[in-house]
Amino acid sequence: MDDIILEVKHISKYFGTFAANKNIDLKVKKGTVHSIIGENGAGKSTLMNMISGIYQPSQGEIYVKGEKVVFRNPNDATKRGIGMVHQEFMLFPELTILENLMMGFETTKSGRFLDKKKAAADIEEITKKYNFSIPLNQKAEELPVSLLQQVEIVKVLYKGAELIILDEPTAVLTPQGIEGLFAAIRNLTKLGKTIIMITHKLKEVMEISDYITVLKDGEVTGNLLPQETNEEEMASLMVGRKVLFNTTKQEKQIGGPILEVKKLTVADSDGVDRVKNVSLTVKKGEIVGIAGVAGSGQSELVEAIFGLRRPKSGDIYYKNELITNKTPREKRQVKIGYVPQDRLATGCCVNGSLMENCIMGYHVAHKFSNPRLINKKEARDFTEDVEKQFQVKIQDISDAMGTMSGGNIQKAIVGREFMQDNNLLIIEDPTRGIDVGAIEFIWQKIIDISEQGCSILLVSHELGEIMELSDRILIMYNGEITGNLLNTADLDEKTVGLYMLGGKKDEA
Amino acid sequence: MKLKLKLSTKLEIMKYTVSVVLIIIIGSLIILSQGDSPLEAGKALLEGSVGSLSALGTTIRWTTPSIITGIAALIAFKSGIWNCGIEGQMYFGAFAAAIVGSAFTLPKMIHLPLTLIVAGLAGMAFAFIPAILKLTLNVNELICTLMLNYAANLFTEYLTFKYMGFDASELADAIATPDMHPTARLSTIIPRTSASTAIFIAIIIAIVIFLLYKYTVLGYELKMVGENLRFSKYGGVNYKKVFILIFLISGFIAGLCGGTEMSGSFGKFRPAFATNLGWDGVMIASIAKNNPIAVIFISIFWGMLKSGSFHMERMTNTNRLVITLLQAVFVLLVAVDYESLYKRFCEKRQLKKLRAQKEVG
Repeated sequence: MDDIILEVKHISKYFGTFAANKNIDLKVKKGTVHSIIGENGAGKSTLMNMISGIYQPSQGEIYVKGEKVVFRNPNDATKRGIGMVHQEFMLFPELTILENLMMGFETTKSGRFLDKKKAAADIEEITKKYNFSIPLNQKAEELPVSLLQQVEIVKVLYKGAELIILDEPTAVLTPQGIEGLFAAIRNLTKLGKTIIMITHKLKEVMEISDYITVLKDGEVTGNLLPQETNEEEMASLMVGRKVLFNTTKQEKQIGGPILEVKKLTVADSDGVDRVKNVSLTVKKGEIVGIAGVAGSGQSELVEAIFGLRRPKSGDIYYKNELITNKTPREKRQVKIGYVPQDRLATGCCVNGSLMENCIMGYHVAHKFSNPRLINKKEARDFTEDVEKQFQVKIQDISDAMGTMSGGNIQKAIVGREFMQDNNLLIIEDPTRGIDVGAIEFIWQKIIDISEQGCSILLVSHELGEIMELSDRILIMYNGEITGNLLNTADLDEKTVGLYMLGGKKDEA
Repeated sequence: MKLKLKLSTKLEIMKYTVSVVLIIIIGSLIILSQGDSPLEAGKALLEGSVGSLSALGTTIRWTTPSIITGIAALIAFKSGIWNCGIEGQMYFGAFAAAIVGSAFTLPKMIHLPLTLIVAGLAGMAFAFIPAILKLTLNVNELICTLMLNYAANLFTEYLTFKYMGFDASELADAIATPDMHPTARLSTIIPRTSASTAIFIAIIIAIVIFLLYKYTVLGYELKMVGENLRFSKYGGVNYKKVFILIFLISGFIAGLCGGTEMSGSFGKFRPAFATNLGWDGVMIASIAKNNPIAVIFISIFWGMLKSGSFHMERMTNTNRLVITLLQAVFVLLVAVDYESLYKRFCEKRQLKKLRAQKEVG
């Protein structure tokens, strides 16, 4: 018994009358990687939130090292050595990494004053032991996601976690970043830590896990060992049907240039150039993918193209018209759409209703029959179209956006931008952290819309996504476009990966 | 959807009922602790607010500025802008109204609306200062508007002296602008009280603002800017325009309140006349939680307390300040998040049911 670090018995969780978890049993062995897989809304996050003390179970018990525990809040769980790394990072952007790590767990001297030196020394010891490298004195907002994730892992280690829960850890990483993360995970388990990983990505599950538990509709549908199963079995346990990972593409006509970016340079708020002298073209009906390690300047580039950030120099042409300094409003009016990477902070308004979220942008690009009044019928029709065509699961369109799961929020955001018959769509990480069914669905929609003549600039940290969808692939490295490759059948991930790490460069 | 709306409305009603009941209990305890009778004080309070026609008039008189300043504050708060300068904007409006109303006579049909509109414009002009500072220099509007209140109070006092001649009086509270002409005055609706037709203006403003939020694109943009500024920028809202508009609308309504105060009750501008009317608006807006219609009802309650408290002080030993204290406590009580309390309560009940079922099963 003593090698079982966590045991969950008959646990259930109800929200009102809705059962998010039904009678779940789970045993996690010390020093192993235990993957929990399932679709969006299958109850993975709810289960983890109970284990980490954010929610209290409606029924059932939790045992840590054979001892029954009741967590009233996350601090109780922390004290028992359970730490969670959330999918949306919980860091204060304005504070330094050191301050973030100390938050809630402050080392003090003379009982009152923060002892940053000692904390820094302690943290460095941990980072050395587990082989992480993070800059302690930089502000969180200055770091790329892949590093922030490491910070989150170090944070739970610093708080003395024995059992670390990772919620969708690979969603934001490049292939190389994922390898780095997996190396870190292996290192952690070797040193006796236990990892629970929530994910949708079956390949990774096969690669890293020791045990696999599948959830569907709040219930356990399978306990598997990676050596005895395969991706198809897992997928069918997850969704209850066979999943096709292949999208269908048809021959399409690619027309003249729609978007032309010429020698664009963009600086961040500190005046550091993040995008350097970038030129690119997107043609009518073409899907251009931008691959690159997180933080290579992709976000700054697309924000500048959409008008959320003012470029330092260079020109942007859209249908042969100069639009460099136009506002997002003006860009929407000429039918440019944008799916931002940060869906909660930029992509939607969590307190607003689904309808209020759907008509954003529509109200300037399309205009209601009377442009000063919101025509309720029109707004409702449009929202219902988005809801139906993009399978957004919500009880009523006047319910708040925040009541839906992440995947549904994403579908609503993508739907809103796709349904406005835009001529150019800028899409950033359209499938970050959503389940296999939804990924396939959104991919197919992207292909369909490009076949209808919409031009697409796709930025993704998921190389597989870029390879699957793009007609042409641009690679960004350190603010520059280093590669421009046609996506032919003989192009492989390794070549692109080499470009992404700066190991290869096209001559300009 | 219907069920859900009903639940949230029910919760709203429950919230106010619970708060009112609690405030009665707390108030009684305070009054008791001072050795007075809560019953008598309560009776005096009721008598003074609705007990007679003239009491009703006083209630209406105090309800009016509460609604208008409440709406002025709500417009700003709903969009996430801290306009705490309602008081100052009101001073400017009031001074402008007093001058326009007294300097010349015109037919009432022209003079009265002119007076009120000039009052609104004066408030608006004063609100333009923090707006432009915020947009060009990114000056925090909370501090800016807060400080400008003092400027407004003292500057209008100075202007009054300047207008009347510096030797007219040496005492600030003795000096006032000339009486406004009857053509610039609002008519009273209850004789021998200061309840004026301004109450209708107030209610119309509240309804117009309610409709603005419910049906117009501008209202939608105002709301979304308050909910998530980044999302609004991304969605194509011209947030600079929206920011300026919020200040201007809020300032106009605050200035208008100065105008109705002059035209409706005071009849001439006296420095420092308002005694926190603007701050009442800030409090009411924060209780009403972004709902213009709720502003009307809370203002009625506010007006009742205010007019009742004068009467109570005359009739009993209880100090009027007790009521001010209770108003502040009321704000705190309404600010409690009853909804999550209720949800937690429901969850527990659910749990019990489940356990019971399990035992039976």
